[in-house]
Amino acid sequence: MSVELTKQGLVLSTNGLSAGYDGRPIVSDITIEATPGKVVSVVGPNGSGKSTLLKSLVGVVKVLEGHVTVGEHEITNLAPEEVAMIGVGYVPQIDDVFPPLSVKENLEIGGYLLSRREIPGRIDAVLDFFPKLKTMMTRKAGKLSGGERKMLAMGRVLMLSPSVLVLDEPTANLAPMVATQLLEEFVRGFADFGSTVLLVEQRAKAALRISDWTYVLGGGKVVLAGAPKDLEQNPLFVESFLGGSAPSRSTSNE
Amino acid sequence: MNAIAFYLATIIVYGAVDSMACLALNVQFGFAGLSNFGFIIFQAGGAYVAAVLSMGPWQKSNGGFQQYVLGWHLVWPLPWIGAAIFGGLLALPFVFLVGKRLRGDFAAVGLLVSAVLLNQLVNNFVPLFNGAAGISIVPAPFSGTWNPQGLGYQFAYGGVAVVLCVLVYFLLRRMTESPYGRSLRAMRDNDVVADALGKNVRVQRTSMLILGGMIAGLSGAVLVGFINLWAPGAWGYAETIVLFAAIIVGGAGNHKGAVLGALLVPLGFEEVTRFIPPLSNPALVPALEWVAIGLLIIGFLWFRPDGILPERRRILSRWATPSVSVPSSGESDALINLGNLDQMDFRQLLRLEGDASDHGIILASDRLTRAFHGVTVVSEVSIEIQRGRITGLIGPNGAGKSTTLAMLAGTLAPTSGRIFYEGRDITSMPSNERAKSGMIRTFQLASEFKKLTVLENLVSAIPRQSGDSFAGALRGRRYWGREDAENIERASEMLEGFGLTQYADSYAGGLSGGQRRLVEIMRALLAQPTILLLDEPMAGVHPNLAHKIGDQLTRLAASGMTIVMVEHELAIMDAFCDPVIVLAEGRVLAQGTMSELRAKKEVVEAYLVG
Amino acid sequence: MSVFLSSLGFGLISAAVLAIATVGFTMQFAVTNVLNLAYGSVMINSAFVTYYLNYHAHLNAWVAMIGGVFTGAVASYLLNRFVFTPFQRRNLLPITIVIVALGVDLCGTFGLQAIIGGSYFSYKQSLGREIHFWGMYFSTLQLIIMGICVVVLGLIHWLLKYTRLGKAMRATSANPNLARNSGVRTQRVISSTWLISGALCGLAGTVFAMNTGVFDATSAQLYIVLMLAAMFLGGPGSAYGAMIGAVTIGVATELSAGYFNPQYKEVIAFVVLLGMLTFRPYGLFGSEKTN
Repeated sequence: MSVELTKQGLVLSTNGLSAGYDGRPIVSDITIEATPGKVVSVVGPNGSGKSTLLKSLVGVVKVLEGHVTVGEHEITNLAPEEVAMIGVGYVPQIDDVFPPLSVKENLEIGGYLLSRREIPGRIDAVLDFFPKLKTMMTRKAGKLSGGERKMLAMGRVLMLSPSVLVLDEPTANLAPMVATQLLEEFVRGFADFGSTVLLVEQRAKAALRISDWTYVLGGGKVVLAGAPKDLEQNPLFVESFLGGSAPSRSTSNE
Repeated sequence: MNAIAFYLATIIVYGAVDSMACLALNVQFGFAGLSNFGFIIFQAGGAYVAAVLSMGPWQKSNGGFQQYVLGWHLVWPLPWIGAAIFGGLLALPFVFLVGKRLRGDFAAVGLLVSAVLLNQLVNNFVPLFNGAAGISIVPAPFSGTWNPQGLGYQFAYGGVAVVLCVLVYFLLRRMTESPYGRSLRAMRDNDVVADALGKNVRVQRTSMLILGGMIAGLSGAVLVGFINLWAPGAWGYAETIVLFAAIIVGGAGNHKGAVLGALLVPLGFEEVTRFIPPLSNPALVPALEWVAIGLLIIGFLWFRPDGILPERRRILSRWATPSVSVPSSGESDALINLGNLDQMDFRQLLRLEGDASDHGIILASDRLTRAFHGVTVVSEVSIEIQRGRITGLIGPNGAGKSTTLAMLAGTLAPTSGRIFYEGRDITSMPSNERAKSGMIRTFQLASEFKKLTVLENLVSAIPRQSGDSFAGALRGRRYWGREDAENIERASEMLEGFGLTQYADSYAGGLSGGQRRLVEIMRALLAQPTILLLDEPMAGVHPNLAHKIGDQLTRLAASGMTIVMVEHELAIMDAFCDPVIVLAEGRVLAQGTMSELRAKKEVVEAYLVG
Repeated sequence: MSVFLSSLGFGLISAAVLAIATVGFTMQFAVTNVLNLAYGSVMINSAFVTYYLNYHAHLNAWVAMIGGVFTGAVASYLLNRFVFTPFQRRNLLPITIVIVALGVDLCGTFGLQAIIGGSYFSYKQSLGREIHFWGMYFSTLQLIIMGICVVVLGLIHWLLKYTRLGKAMRATSANPNLARNSGVRTQRVISSTWLISGALCGLAGTVFAMNTGVFDATSAQLYIVLMLAAMFLGGPGSAYGAMIGAVTIGVATELSAGYFNPQYKEVIAFVVLLGMLTFRPYGLFGSEKTN
């Protein structure tokens, strides 16, 4: 994998951010930071505002208070296309591809900001990373399986060699095996290449396994934060996310 | 002087005709949410029938210079009654367009095109309608006895027209201000949800199409009896747009608004332009009239979309007897201060007198499968739900939980497989009938009726209301009022329990996300379910409140209510659900109590850990 | 047999005009979700600009047509920019947009009538030599119209399949938010769509007027019915569906005119439209757009 897949990461941070719909905040007073070479994950129950937080970073949901910065740039309330230009690649949880377009066309749209000459080379680089997509370039994205579709969704954002990857529950709808592969091989891989990865995950344990730092959201606020190994010891965290008893003991709970 | 009097009589008749038409269209569009772009067909049809019923046989009476059918020479009011009946019958061919869950604008386009093409057909079809020439010398009612050209006759005619218009007004108001009217507006705001609460949306829409058609037909009859002419050119599809303009200007969902719109737009435009002196270009004034109507529509929709007289908010709390009405307990934020949910006993409120000992199978699915565009989302799910228990459905995102729930409730048809409810195969039973037999579901996305108040939202769900049918509504408040007051009281009591009393008369669309979820839960409970299907009811609800609601559900289950709950939060599952069914990739992975499930490695892999 | 062939000939010409019109109409729906019922009024205004340039500025009709195309493009762009987009920002029901479009249609059609009066117009243009082959008769004019249709549809195909803009249009149609996340300036794409579809509208208006021979301000009012039928047959929002739908409807209406009564030829379109709305509202080729 000699071709550079992502650019050197930039620091993505928020400061006292609150965001929501129709002027009503869903998340409030969020201060988080994601740094290059690291996977930073956000976990929390459904309805805690994880997706809204991500959407507010990339310009899909309005920021009501606070700031979002990427490296030198302030990106608070920039339009989604401007955020993309600055180098933030966002993969939404659903509607993550263009179903009627072929796999190749999806990648081409991903590289929309590139010049015509750059696109084929970038597509080759992305295909090196996701070789499985090579065999299905003319297939419509709507006809892919869940795992293939997610690879395409990630491949699409890689077309612009992003500095920061923002991934909203990439493992939703995926079989456990595929989900594990996706997280450990690809998502972890992005960080190991030096880019910044901010990940929202429903599967708390799986997220912890590949994260360097984790924020826990509850009721629209950051309620806990820490390194995964510390969180795993935190009884409050174990109680609410890993299901009542510490995972190490759960199998002996006959 | 006399000329002015004649003119006045004419205006009265036109005003009454336009008002009736606008009232009818407003009931369809403003109350039932039916965009009937073919409305003019009904008026034209009624007018034609009234004409040919009052005329004599065509060969004899006019030497065959015009062709038409019937020619029964009926005496007034039979032609008018015939017109109304025909207007109603004319609705039937269009029922399939509005009965289906077709996008509103697509259905409207279908009706618009129908109007255009029927007009074309009539224009070209001589044997039935005498083609574009239309028919003339339509006799005025009692023209043998009185002189239709006399001033007295003309004013009498105007009087009859106004009386009819007033009758229509009160008839429609009686209907819309009843529980039935509430159901109509609920359907307008969200037809899928209304259906899931047991409203028969297809029947409601059909009824409104027929009722509106009858009134339109009658208004056509009044007109044709007065002007004694009928020609298809006068009934172009654009006339419907004029009526829509009238309603938009006057105020959709408001009867007075409809009448005001009728007087301002069709009548006002017609009359004002009469006084413009003739110009060199005779087409100029009518053309500018159309331009003005176009601008009126666009301008009002932009600057005053609710019209001059907007829809009224219905204050239901005034019908509740003061003794029950509520001490203000919810001054602080209702989501934190939870009313007195702990002390509430919903069993009485919901008239639950269950035998809690029976834990037989109430609902079962057999190899239930659903595919979307060839992708299987739920595959061969066979589950059994026990009576009087809270069954949890968990699984990772996309495991097919909500799809399964929707198939059980009938919102979504399964691709294959069967569903049994109390031993009966209900696979093909429509969702509104399932709701009527006690299966009530909630939705994951916001599903309140936005332009109904919170109380109206709750009361609309109560089953078997005597005023919630067309016939019941017409029998008036004396017939259904007392029962409705009781229902309002029950709903108020529940509202108090959830600490939302202060919002009783606010529009539900204006509440916060968490409050709207509560409205939905209350509404589902008031539907008095035998089995309650909850799709992530606690998402966005304050955790403390979620637990109190959970406790209430537990009590209800103990009294015999069956509950199925899709939830993500394991804490909720732990506390309230037994048994729990785990779905993954559209299949049942495991089933048991939460502690049993924790012991299963594959469950932990798929969901608890990932 | 000869009835069949001559009707087929008529049908192909009708289909050519209809295809140009419907492709533009359906592109507007695909990219902005606007069922633009004011399309017919833009068509006829464009046709009239062509007439003005042809008759009063003494330009050859084919040269004057450029003015018509330009009018259609600019008018449609302005319509979207200053009417439909502001209304859509308010998150209204789709039916409200349809009512707005009807209001615009009244203004467009009757505004023109107020200016030009109620009389009929026709271009200064010869039909050209009559050519017949395989039992079908065509005037040179009609052959040129069909040629234009083939070229234009080819260009649209090339645009959608092979150009950056075309792919961005399809992406915006399929998932506007994701397109923006990918760096597509969807506002520009939408503006381009209205310019291009508006040009098609202007072209359609002019060839429609050429084909019918005489026209007045209200001539295109009923044309929307045929366009709707063609669009719903092929699937709303699908450009290729619109082409196939237009050919089917065009040929079917003329065949029914040949065999039955020409005055009722639109009935077949009506039946097709209601049938499609009832049984397959997403067309023979289209699929349900999520949201």
